[in-house]
Amino acid sequence: MIEPYLEISLKSEYFFLLPQKAIYRPAQQELILSDLHLGKAAHFRKNGIPLPTPSKSKDLEILQQLINHWQPKKIIILGDLFHSDYNLEWDLFSQFLNQNAQLLFVLVKGNHDILKLEIYNIPNLTVVDKIEEPNFTFSHQPVNNCDKINFCGHIHPAIKINGKAKQSVTLPCFAFVGNNFILPAFGSLTGLYVLKWDKHSTFYLVGNNKVLEYENIRLL
Amino acid sequence: MNLAKNWFELKKWKPFLFQTQTGQAIINNQSGLLNSPTGSGKTMAIWFGVLQSYYNKNSKSTTKKTNGTGLHCLWITPLRALSKEILLATQQVSVDLNLDYTIALRTGDTSTTERVKQRKKAPNALITTPESVQLLLASKDYALYFKNLEFVIVDEWHELLGSKRGVQIELALSRLKAINPNLKIWAISATIGNLEQAKEILLGKNSTAVTIKSNLNKKISIETIFPDVVENYSWVGHLGLKLLPKILPIIEKSNTTLVFVNVRSQSEIWYQHLLDKAPHLAGLMALHHGSLSDNTRKWVEDSLHQGKLKVVICTSSLDLGVDFSTVDTVIQIGSPKGIARFLQRAGRSGHNPNAESKIYYLPTNSLEIIEGSAIRKNIELNNLESRIPYVRSFDVLVQYLITLAVSDGFNAQIIFEEIKSTHCFSSVTADEFSWCLNFITNGGGSLNAYPEFNKVIIENNVYKVVNKAIAMRHRMGIGTIVSDSMMNVKFLSGKRLGVVEERFISNLKIGDVFWFGGRNLELVLVKDMEAKVKISKAKNGKIPSWLGGRMAMSASLSNGIRNQFDDYTNNIIENEELNKLKPLLDLQSKVSLVPNKNQLLIEQFKTKDGYHLMVYPFEGRFVHEGMSAILAYRIGLLQPSTFSIGMNDYGFELLSDTEVDMEAVLDNNLFSSEFLYDDATTSMNATELATRKFRDIATIAGLVFTGYPGKQKKTKHLQASSQLFFKVFEEYDKSNLLLRQAFDEVLDFQLEITRMQAAFNRIYTQQIVVTHPLKPTPFSFPILVDTLREKFTNEDIQTRIDKILNSLDK
Repeated sequence: MIEPYLEISLKSEYFFLLPQKAIYRPAQQELILSDLHLGKAAHFRKNGIPLPTPSKSKDLEILQQLINHWQPKKIIILGDLFHSDYNLEWDLFSQFLNQNAQLLFVLVKGNHDILKLEIYNIPNLTVVDKIEEPNFTFSHQPVNNCDKINFCGHIHPAIKINGKAKQSVTLPCFAFVGNNFILPAFGSLTGLYVLKWDKHSTFYLVGNNKVLEYENIRLL
Repeated sequence: MNLAKNWFELKKWKPFLFQTQTGQAIINNQSGLLNSPTGSGKTMAIWFGVLQSYYNKNSKSTTKKTNGTGLHCLWITPLRALSKEILLATQQVSVDLNLDYTIALRTGDTSTTERVKQRKKAPNALITTPESVQLLLASKDYALYFKNLEFVIVDEWHELLGSKRGVQIELALSRLKAINPNLKIWAISATIGNLEQAKEILLGKNSTAVTIKSNLNKKISIETIFPDVVENYSWVGHLGLKLLPKILPIIEKSNTTLVFVNVRSQSEIWYQHLLDKAPHLAGLMALHHGSLSDNTRKWVEDSLHQGKLKVVICTSSLDLGVDFSTVDTVIQIGSPKGIARFLQRAGRSGHNPNAESKIYYLPTNSLEIIEGSAIRKNIELNNLESRIPYVRSFDVLVQYLITLAVSDGFNAQIIFEEIKSTHCFSSVTADEFSWCLNFITNGGGSLNAYPEFNKVIIENNVYKVVNKAIAMRHRMGIGTIVSDSMMNVKFLSGKRLGVVEERFISNLKIGDVFWFGGRNLELVLVKDMEAKVKISKAKNGKIPSWLGGRMAMSASLSNGIRNQFDDYTNNIIENEELNKLKPLLDLQSKVSLVPNKNQLLIEQFKTKDGYHLMVYPFEGRFVHEGMSAILAYRIGLLQPSTFSIGMNDYGFELLSDTEVDMEAVLDNNLFSSEFLYDDATTSMNATELATRKFRDIATIAGLVFTGYPGKQKKTKHLQASSQLFFKVFEEYDKSNLLLRQAFDEVLDFQLEITRMQAAFNRIYTQQIVVTHPLKPTPFSFPILVDTLREKFTNEDIQTRIDKILNSLDK
């Protein structure tokens, strides 16, 4: 769990980019993550498409480990927490919230979060459309021409890097494009969207238990 | 009354012997296979048997309207265009002879109203496709509908055999035979290497079914179009545009010419360039490929019939079926990849049974010239390829079981017996079958049942689907042809032009110009899977590339090519092709080697890209795909490596960032055919072959849902990529039969393991010659530029990332 993270500074505040595809914000003791897509497998099965999963969610297990390690006070989820309509996997999540009752969970609503409002009615869960702070905006989809730094998700960003002898690897990444700081998808049952590299942006690639900064290097 | 005799007299034609024989066999209630090429009168041979048999049993009066005796004959064709053709021809017979025998068409294009009409009162004969037969089996009371069915005709069976559509037919027949034990089945097939097996699969082993051959010998003349100076012709090209001026006089002197190319993008490029060089052909020239709208294709076909066109640039979309009497010349651009395909295309010209078929072969690079003589030799020897049938296609079986569950439900024991009788599923065990049942009832193997799984339920021993949404989604998804996510291309006015890959459009910006259907189009907006376009005046545009449809050269043709090279090394230059190619082969000999029959050539050299290891087995792209993966795997055992793998029909390349120690490769006998199966399976994990194969399987088995037009956004929540399923199955459901099928299919079809085994055995007897040329050789050039590359690695991901990073820092 104490894997190397990458420390960066935005608007004079430190942020730790974690290889588990989340951000820890030490000053505020916040854990930020995006696009969990919980309940996806069950949603598929309910509609007749067999997608096997272990009985215990791997994603929630990782999240629990992160909580145990970093001891945050608040967890900000940048949307697409639950994949679609209600199914039994939501009950597992609500148990999870119960087990972490000391923690506040804030869901910034995403396009997949379509559950009825009363379902979200759990003491330590708050649902908002956006979070505004003096220096930062938190949203699900990237905000165009944002004048603050905008933490967001939605895209499931990845980058393909090429090396010698026509070799290449595609890796999920944190993408800092313009003022949008886009998080990789936290959920394991999600796909990747390969971004085009451009020299005005910064990409932090999530390798094997390591976050690597690739700034201003030639990536084809 | 003899209907055939009346009709032929009416037309003042004389029936061929095979036509009379076929008709008689059908009247005698026999099943059989008619071996006959396209355009030989095969349709009428069968049709008059069916008609005569009907009127021998039913009303003597041929004019009185009977009130529906139910469906009598099911005619299955692989192509919609072909089904229309057969409809018109057979309907004309009913008109000519004043018969009340009704014929209708049922394909993906048939309107809902027409379908309802066909259900209420069945026509006597239904002309349809394999998918539509499955759809009929997915509708309520299908057993009643097929109760009086007497004949099933499977047209172009050779074409269906080697595909999963053939499996659909096997399954449908197993059901139809159960409903009607006296069903007569007729296959129509062109000549293939395994005709006897083709017959057995459709008609059963040890059946009394007859084989009738048309014995029409067609004269074919093949002429290769040569560049003036071979040395100046491209070594690596795949378009052949340099030789375009040479086909202009051929087009001029011909009545109508079909120009066959291998891929759709190439047809667009040729069309554009031909128009540039010969503007007077505007209006007399058309394009025909699988991505153009039905209307466009129909227009081209009609215009061909009416002799309104001078040239049509086409792809395999015009390989089959429909005869165009106006066509007298065919030009094949680039390697035809197989003898049978080349013959089929040649047969599109000179349709008159006694006319000679004239076909020109235009090589797209200098080495390809050799294929002209290789093909001619093989045709002389009648060396035609076999079509390998699919076996154990669990994806099609799962789809079929749900199809039956959607309509009237099924009894597992009865259906198990039925599917066991087919060639495809004869080896399926009871355990495997119950895995399939579990898969559709509780979503997984027997061990894990999911509480909320909802698909097929069991009621009183009957498996059925009750959920309407699931039933509808299943009906929409019936089929075995899996294509990339496609986007409609439409004018702003709404007129549909065809489809292109979504990926292509997503790489365009609004205002970009691209070529499609022979027109320069500007992208105006993209919305709801539709690309709206307008005509552009710009001179240049991008050309969409439609992936897929990459064929590998057949064993017969590959063998032919090796023989031609052997002839060269023995100084036997008997044909114009070898003669023209001699300067290039001389160069290859000088810098490296032209291998004779007993040699395997390996070249090693270094460029700025890295270290190249070139191997030339001349076995076709697919075998090379497998061989290269196995060789990469075996080298990886000696030293952890990552390879980028390129290949073509002649050889393959392993490109790495460190040099391969060839000494060690030869000492350790890495070309051994021992443990081939194991090594192939293991190396598959290190490449992406199985993942890619799994895409089709997942779609056919109904895992990957492609959505349908006009439905709400929420269907998006049911979409996931097949890679995700692959990953999850590998992780949590290793024994999943669909997963295993993916590996089996890679071995059988992608890597052609049987053929690969033979190749390894052959190489084992050969002398391996390693050369170290200073520069890339004529043989290697086309492979070096291969852009669709495979990857093999047994290094861990962090090492690879670090290596890539290090190379970037410099």
